Amino acid sequence: MRRERFLGVALGTFLIAIGLGASWSVASDQPPEGKIASVAVRLYLTEGSLPTDDPNAASWNAIQPSEFNLAPQVHWPDRIQEVTVKTVKVRGMHNGQDLAVMVEYEDPTESPADAAALEFMVGDQKAHFAHGQEMIQVEGGPVNIWYWKKADGKGTDMSAKGFKTIRAQDQQDVSATGVWQGGTWRVVFSRPLATGDEHDVQITPGEWRSIAFAFWDGELVDGEAREKGSQKAVSSWWSVRAEPTPDNSMYGYVVLGIAIAAGFEFFLVRKIRRGNHA
Amino acid sequence: MKNPLAKAGILLVGMYVFLKFILPQFTAPLPASLIFLYLALTFAASTIFFTMSGAGLEDFMGPVGRFLTGEGQSGIAGTARILVFLVFPLLVGWQTYTKLAPSDAPPAENRTIHPAPPGEFVGLANPFPKTQDNIMMGKGLYAAFCSPCHGANFDGKGPAAPGFNPPPANFSDPGTIAQLQEAYLFWRIKKGGVGLPIEGMPWKSAMPRWEFELPDDWIWKIIMGEYDGAHQSPRTWEEEEEE
Repeated sequence: MRRERFLGVALGTFLIAIGLGASWSVASDQPPEGKIASVAVRLYLTEGSLPTDDPNAASWNAIQPSEFNLAPQVHWPDRIQEVTVKTVKVRGMHNGQDLAVMVEYEDPTESPADAAALEFMVGDQKAHFAHGQEMIQVEGGPVNIWYWKKADGKGTDMSAKGFKTIRAQDQQDVSATGVWQGGTWRVVFSRPLATGDEHDVQITPGEWRSIAFAFWDGELVDGEAREKGSQKAVSSWWSVRAEPTPDNSMYGYVVLGIAIAAGFEFFLVRKIRRGNHA
Repeated sequence: MKNPLAKAGILLVGMYVFLKFILPQFTAPLPASLIFLYLALTFAASTIFFTMSGAGLEDFMGPVGRFLTGEGQSGIAGTARILVFLVFPLLVGWQTYTKLAPSDAPPAENRTIHPAPPGEFVGLANPFPKTQDNIMMGKGLYAAFCSPCHGANFDGKGPAAPGFNPPPANFSDPGTIAQLQEAYLFWRIKKGGVGLPIEGMPWKSAMPRWEFELPDDWIWKIIMGEYDGAHQSPRTWEEEEEE
């Protein structure tokens, strides 16, 4: 009688395990369709040096870009209602030491005042995407801005916390280079993952950070740049993550799971057989 | 159909077909986690039901036991037995893999779209009468200041809208301003995205803090124009009292 009860429980457990597995697999949701824009930038893990000086390097083209829509900056004055850059393709890679992010966007004219910028939250504190401006109910943090302008020919590492507080940092860690070809800018920003500067975003492989974008079409119209200062194309926050080094220990757990399941089967059958022969 | 095991199987398949295909004809499709929960409950319940008595236990478990030990089996049953023994550990392995495999998706953010307003904005009434003049002025101000994002048709599809995350509110959707009082809109327009509490994720919102640029009178008239243009009515105290 006791043995029978044990067999019942063991068999029941087995059936429940199979039943749960089967219902879990038939119940899985399909991924939503029709989503065009991305939500995150992935910095692919590669080996060796990064193509920081060459926006047209073959290794860039091998990466599947993320794509984000941009809006005219209408959040604060001076606003702009129409901007040149409507979308941006973003590719990224890192080698465990340094990272590189390449933005690709359409701009029909090449001008000295053409510019591009990446923006990041710094540390754990949330910061408003508009230069870390003050939030009324939430204590906000600063932002780190990586700025590139064609005329400068270099990247500038900047900080801001609120409007009119943007300034170049004392410790410059960002490099940038841009190439314009047939109506398309490709600008590569690069930096060490970790800088040791508290004003910078620190990128740790496997951890998510927030990123936003801004672009200026510097084409001269009546002697003035078409877009400058707060008149630019912007995005709000999206996510970015440097790919972590693959963790192979999980395959050990998979093998362990298979072994435990197989062992369970073996002992279950043995127990039932013994019960039947008792 | 006497075999309780077969009955339980039919019940389970029937439940799945009902939840997945028949129920969505009448209501929204069920999320996978809920279907899974219902199937697990059905399975557990039928197992308990059919094994309540000693005889029931033998009827229910007997065939399973014979299947597992392979007693007197040949042909298809024998092959099926081997398949089950192979598939079960693989299923466990697959489950382990999917639980441990690193995800490429950023962590989900549960943003509250209409968080509670600060106390000083609760219960304010629009000081302007709903005259044609006031509505027209409100619509004019809306066209100048709000339509770039919220759209000339009040549908959240203005030219600047596609770049923002979260997207600008669609006022013609019955789930937005129709659910809110005018005082709520007054707060949201006056203080903007940066006025949101933490659950509203103020750091992502592009809504300007209009108190720096627009007088209160204009804001009240914009609200009037917004409701009129979107063919919605504000939620009022009177309606709630009637309920």
